[in-house]
Formats: sequence, C-alpha cells, structure tokens
Amino acid sequence: MDDKEENRTVIEAEVPMGTVHPGALEPYRLRLFVEDEIVRDAEMTVGVNHRGVERIMEGLPVEKANSLTEKICGICSNIHIWNSCRVAEIALGIEIPERAIYIRIIMGELERLHSHLLYLAHGCEVLGHETFSMRLFYIRETVMDLLGMIGGNRVQYGSAVLGGVRPRCELDQTRIQKLTEGMDLIEEKLTAFADRFVSDPMVMSRITGVGVTSAEDALRLACSGPTLRATGVKSDLRTEMFEYDPFEFDVITHEDGDVKSQLLMRVFENFEAIKIIRQAIRDLPEGPITNRSWEMKDVPITKSYVEAPRGTLYHSYALEDGRVRNCVIRTPSMANIGAMQYSAIGHHITDAQLCIVQCDPCFTCTDRAIQIIKI
Amino acid sequence: MDLIYSLIAVIGTLVVSFIVSLFLPGIERKFIHARIQQRVGPPITSPGIMAPIKFFFKQTITPESPMPRLYNALPLISLIIIVILLLFLIPEMYFLGALASIIAIVGLLKVEEIMYMFMGSLSKSVLSVRMPFPDLAKGAAHPETPRSFFEELSSLRAFRLIAFGSFPLYIALFVSVAMAGSIYLSDIIAYQQTHGPILFTVAGAMGAIVFFIGYMILLNEYPFSILKGKPDVVEGPYLEYAAKYRAYVYMTRGFLMFTLATLFATLFLGIAPNILNPSFIITLIVALIFPMLMAVMSAFSPIFTYKQFYPTVAGVSIIGVLAIVAAFL
Amino acid sequence: MSLKSYSRGRAVHVMLVYTGGCNGCDIEIVNCILSPKFDAEQYKVFLTWNPREADVLVVTGPVTKHNEQPLREIYKAIPEPKAVVAAGACALMGGVYKNCYGDIPSEEIAGPVDKIIPVDAKVPGCAVRPQDIVAGLVSALPLLLNAD
Repeated sequence: MDDKEENRTVIEAEVPMGTVHPGALEPYRLRLFVEDEIVRDAEMTVGVNHRGVERIMEGLPVEKANSLTEKICGICSNIHIWNSCRVAEIALGIEIPERAIYIRIIMGELERLHSHLLYLAHGCEVLGHETFSMRLFYIRETVMDLLGMIGGNRVQYGSAVLGGVRPRCELDQTRIQKLTEGMDLIEEKLTAFADRFVSDPMVMSRITGVGVTSAEDALRLACSGPTLRATGVKSDLRTEMFEYDPFEFDVITHEDGDVKSQLLMRVFENFEAIKIIRQAIRDLPEGPITNRSWEMKDVPITKSYVEAPRGTLYHSYALEDGRVRNCVIRTPSMANIGAMQYSAIGHHITDAQLCIVQCDPCFTCTDRAIQIIKI
Repeated sequence: MDLIYSLIAVIGTLVVSFIVSLFLPGIERKFIHARIQQRVGPPITSPGIMAPIKFFFKQTITPESPMPRLYNALPLISLIIIVILLLFLIPEMYFLGALASIIAIVGLLKVEEIMYMFMGSLSKSVLSVRMPFPDLAKGAAHPETPRSFFEELSSLRAFRLIAFGSFPLYIALFVSVAMAGSIYLSDIIAYQQTHGPILFTVAGAMGAIVFFIGYMILLNEYPFSILKGKPDVVEGPYLEYAAKYRAYVYMTRGFLMFTLATLFATLFLGIAPNILNPSFIITLIVALIFPMLMAVMSAFSPIFTYKQFYPTVAGVSIIGVLAIVAAFL
Repeated sequence: MSLKSYSRGRAVHVMLVYTGGCNGCDIEIVNCILSPKFDAEQYKVFLTWNPREADVLVVTGPVTKHNEQPLREIYKAIPEPKAVVAAGACALMGGVYKNCYGDIPSEEIAGPVDKIIPVDAKVPGCAVRPQDIVAGLVSALPLLLNAD
C-alpha cells in the first residue's frame, strides 16, 4: 500500500483484538495501529482455524471427498459441495439432468439469501444496532426453514451429489408451494426492512463514506464477488456459468465502494436471488434428478470456478483410481483480506471492525492454504 | 419528634429509591427492548435484581490489575457517591447549605465520571494484549509499537467524556439556576412553588431535552456508548469486575438512572424526593419515564463514533446555552 | 430453594468461544440468542462476551492449536461456579478433523474440548440445532445451582 506510506510514520499505540471478540465472532487476530484512535495501519492474522481439510480429502473416494467439502464452511456449505461435484463432472464428462441443475440453482440462491441476510445482520450488530440485527435474523429464519425443508438439515444441507442431486432434495408440489410462499414473504419483509434502513439518518451517517475502496484499488487487491461489485466493477461468475444460462438476472453494482453501498448491494442481490428462484420454480423441467450412468477414469487436475455468495470459489483436484489427488481449494474471503485491511485505514477504531465486516469475512473458510501464492 | 420525622423521610426515601432502581434495567429490557425487537424477553426481575444477587454468590477473584484492591473499591465508591448525591436532594438535608446546591451536584457527578477513567486505566483484561497468541512473530508489522489494552482506550474516551461529553447535562442543570436566580436547591424548589414548574416554560422545555441527552451520555447508553461499545472495547472499564464487585457495578447503574431522574424532577418540576410527601409518586413516574425513553432511543440507534458524537454534543450544548439565554429574558 | 440457587437459575450469563469450527454451529448459537424466533433471553439466558461476567462457557469447534491457550485462559478467567457446554460434533469428538493425519499426532487439532478443559454438558449435532443448545444449557444448570 504505497500511497498510504506517509501515514505510517505516526503510530502511537497498537490495539490488539481477538482471538475472542464480540465484533469479530470468528477467531482471528487483528492488530490495529492507531494514532489518537484513528487507525493508521492494520494487520490481520488468519490461520487460527487451519484444520487441513485438503489433507483429509487426499486419497478419499471422490464421493466421500465431495461430502467432506461441505464441512469447510457452515455458511456456504452447499456451494462447496456443488463446486466439488462440478470438478468431477467436468473431468469425467458427466451429463447432469436439467431438473437437477434447476434444483441446485434453487439451493444455491437460497444459500445466497441466507448468507447475505446473515451478513447484513452481522453488519448491523457491529454497527451496534441490535434491533435491526434481530429483525434480519427473523427474516433469515424463513430461509433457514426452506433450506431445512428441502435439505433436511438447517445448516449442512448440501444437495449436490455426483451426477445430480440427492433424492431427498426432490421438489414436489408441496415444497414448490412453500417455496413460492416463502419468497413472497421474504420479499415483502425485506422491502419493508430496506425502506426503514435507508431512511434512518443515524445509521446512514455511520455507514456513508466509511471504508471506501475504489474500483482500481479493489482490482489491485484482487477482490472478488460482492465486495468487488460494490465498488462498481461488473464482475459476476454467474454470467459465465452454463448453469445460469436460461435465467434472467441483473448483475448489481454500486459505485461508491463504502459500507453503505456494500450493505445495500447485498439487499438488492437478495431481490435478484428471489427473482432467479421464482424463474427456476416456474420453468422447473420434468425428468430424473440424478444421472447414474457414468464411468470412473483417471483424469489430470481439473479446475472449476463458481460464484459463491461471498465471491469466487475455486476447487481443483485430479482423480486416480476413483480417489482424489492434489486437492486445492481457494475460498472467496482469501481474496478479500487485502480489501479488509486497506479499507480500515484512516478510520476510527469503532469503524475499523465495520470495515472488516463489510467485506463479508469467513475465516473458517479462508484458513485453507498454508502458503499464499501471489496471483 | 422532628428529628425522627426527618430520619424516617431520609432513610425511607433512600430505601424506596434503591428498590425501585433495581427494577429499572428489567423494565428497560423486558418492556421496551424486547417489545421493539418482537420477542418475549427476560423476566422483569432477572437483569436488575437476580443478576446482582447471583454475582454476590460467586467466588471472589483477584482482578488482573496493577492495584486490585483499589480497582475493586471503585464501584463501591461510585455507589456511595450516588447515594450521597441522592441524600443532598432530599429536602430534610437542605440545612447543609452549600452542599445542597448545584455546585455540589456538579462536583459529585464529575467524580462519578472520573471513576470511569480510574477503572479503565486499572483494568488489564484477558481479551486484548494478554490473549496468548503468537502475533509478534517474525515478519509482524511494527513489532516495536507499545501495546495498549481496550481499557486504556476506554480510559482515554472517559477523559473526553469529562472534557466535553457531559457538557449538555451540566448546562441543563444551570437552566433552572438561571430561572430561579440561586444555586441552592431550596431556592429553586421555592421558586417553582410560586411560579409553577420550570419544565413548562420555553427555557425549561429546551433544558429538559438537553438534560435527557446528557442523561444518556452520562449513563453510556447506546448510541452514546463510546466507553463500552461492543464492536471495539467490549465492556471497557468494567471488563475485570467479577463476583460481588460486578454486582455493585450493576446496582450503581440502576441507582444512577434513578438519581438522575430524581434530579430532573427536583430541578424542572420542583418536586424534591421525599417519601412522606404524596408528590413522591411524580418522582417515581419520572424515574420510570426516563429509562423507558432512553430504551426506545437506544433500541433504534447504532453506536456513535466521534464523527457523530461531537456534532450531537455541540448541537445539544448550543440548545442548552439558548435555554439559559431564554431563561434570562 | 435457597436464594442462592434461585438467583443463579434466574440469570445465566453465557459466553461463546469459537475454536475453529466451520461456522455452522457458531451461527446457530448466535441465531439461538439473537433471533426473536428462539430468543434465549426468555429462558433467563443472557449473552456476554466477558469471561468475568460469564457462568456458562459454550465452546464450538475442534480446538485448533492456536486456540488452545486462549481457551484455557478464558476458562481460567471465569469465576466459580462455572459450567462448560461443548456444542457440535467437532467439539465433542473432533468431528471429521479427528483423524486428520491418521495415526500421526495432529499438528493442527488440539481438541476435542474435553482434552483441554472439563466439559459438563455435551450437545451433539452437525450443526447443532438452536433448540438443542437451549436444552444443553438447561442440562448444565443443576451443576451451577447446587454448587457452593
């Protein structure tokens, strides 16, 4: 961060936070270097949560390894298992039934809803606004109920299996009815909440112009996903994924790159997610949900990128005798750590935690790699 | 006979005030916060009464502090100061002369604020620097920088609170002084008995608003909770209090809420707290209305940083000064 | 019932420590306390982030090496009587991370939780359900109520 070099000269004190802290929730160490309560530099130490899932996956049969990827993250578990299946499907050339793709997308978008609502709730909690946080958790309950209904579990519901989705996740008429009602309810509640949120002068004065990351900086720091879109860069992997081809949706971008645009962008993305789910329910094709007729063969390292709720998710592995080799996973928060440190600089300490939360951190996901390779 | 009458009045007022003040946190939590947040909420006795009793039955530990005994004594001292403050408000104590005046009240409230500073600088909690984590490993940024605890941050903020944060409250106190033309509480009450409550004049109404904001700032309630905001300093000065000393902290807060409301009733409504006077009921009502209003405010607001805190304090202080000017006109 | 146990049962302060789980249990526990649907406060359970105030420590995750010492320190900071609730499969027996390196001693996982601090109540589940957490807290209560 060369352009901030001159600020580094005055550092009065260091305020360490973590690994147990109410603003952070997740265990990580944050060292804030302050001058008169204004943050001049920040250092985040991740790796506290490193457990080594790739090591466990090494040598497991591919089906087992796929279900293990779910345990990487409790928030975006479905997208992990989807992407992991996608690697094998691309490598082995497995054809997935149309209906399975639609169900996967419904699950993925429901997960995006719950992840974004959780993000907003956590953001409000860090703002100090308990009431808004509770209201968002209340809206989120509807999504959790729907996920529990389809997947059978509130959190680790992963629907994808190799070649389709689990039979448990088949959508019958009752479930579709409940989904439709749930979407209407969430849209209504979320609209009311968003209206209330933007018309609150105290909240707006806290979040406007705080934690600004410009588009150039965001690109330079290699941000991804919503964090990048909130700075004005139109970048969404969903537009490139073949699964999303039949769906119409807008890529939401906001110009400012501050906390306000980050929060509001997530609210608008929720409406897009609702739109996609409605389209998927409307056009849900008939047919089987799993394709079991495929053959295992050895394949070299295959990559797959998808748009997780928090950004670009990358999985890659090779297959040898039906077992996973050389597994690499790169989670979205890894890309956004730079933006977290960068946007906190120059703000009050109370805002620093907010600047970190605005980039949607999920460090339990992030603590994958021991060595970070610059790209 | 007169002496016994006075003693009953003083002790009775203190006891009743204390009992009512224990219910205030519960009322705030159950009837305001929980209602606004659309949930059931805790029983009314839990946050204010049962929690302190529970803390009395916990094991007493030595806090991590350079001066543990002084640190543990501080909440008790601040509780005593508030009791003395309430004592001076009771009409039977007005023979004390200068002690039963605005100047004494301002002084005692200042001591109360300084307590936050002492607490902050004496507490060394496990949550920040003392957390065992290898973050000064090779390659760490700025390894030479002096490291500070959250509480030191809180202590600095308490200093700012003394310097400018509590301005509105003190300005509001002097509105009634300007109206009555005397700093003695007895004169202020006498003035209001002849001229009607100060609250119902233009200056008084403005002063009441200023007083309310000052009340929230002194009690460190959201949005003015700079000393103990959850996103950065967690609980700030109170981090190391455990067992019965934490119980004193809980009781002090409830009692301060009550005492400040009583102060408002004395200065702006002309009703001194006296259990033997039927108008004591109005004091109780004021003491209930104030925390309720505060809870409504705090449920709907985020934490302020200095960017919002300075303008609010400055704006409210200007209203206070205008109120004093209006009082002279 | 004495005043001591009555007051202890009427105000239970809970502290959460996350020790490197997958966030699933963590979010469900926060959900259990912050969501108006579950609202743990109606059962007199209050959330705190200060070990000096806490009665019950809720631990999730398989306790990674970096989290081992902080967990011990926080447990030490809680004044007696205290109870520990381990929530989630990882906290109970290491979950999927238990046999991370087969027979070779793991360098990443120091847990499960009962290797490091004594555990009084165990809440199973991957991820734990909010209802189960409240049940687990309740099952740890007699220990608090009957302590000196």
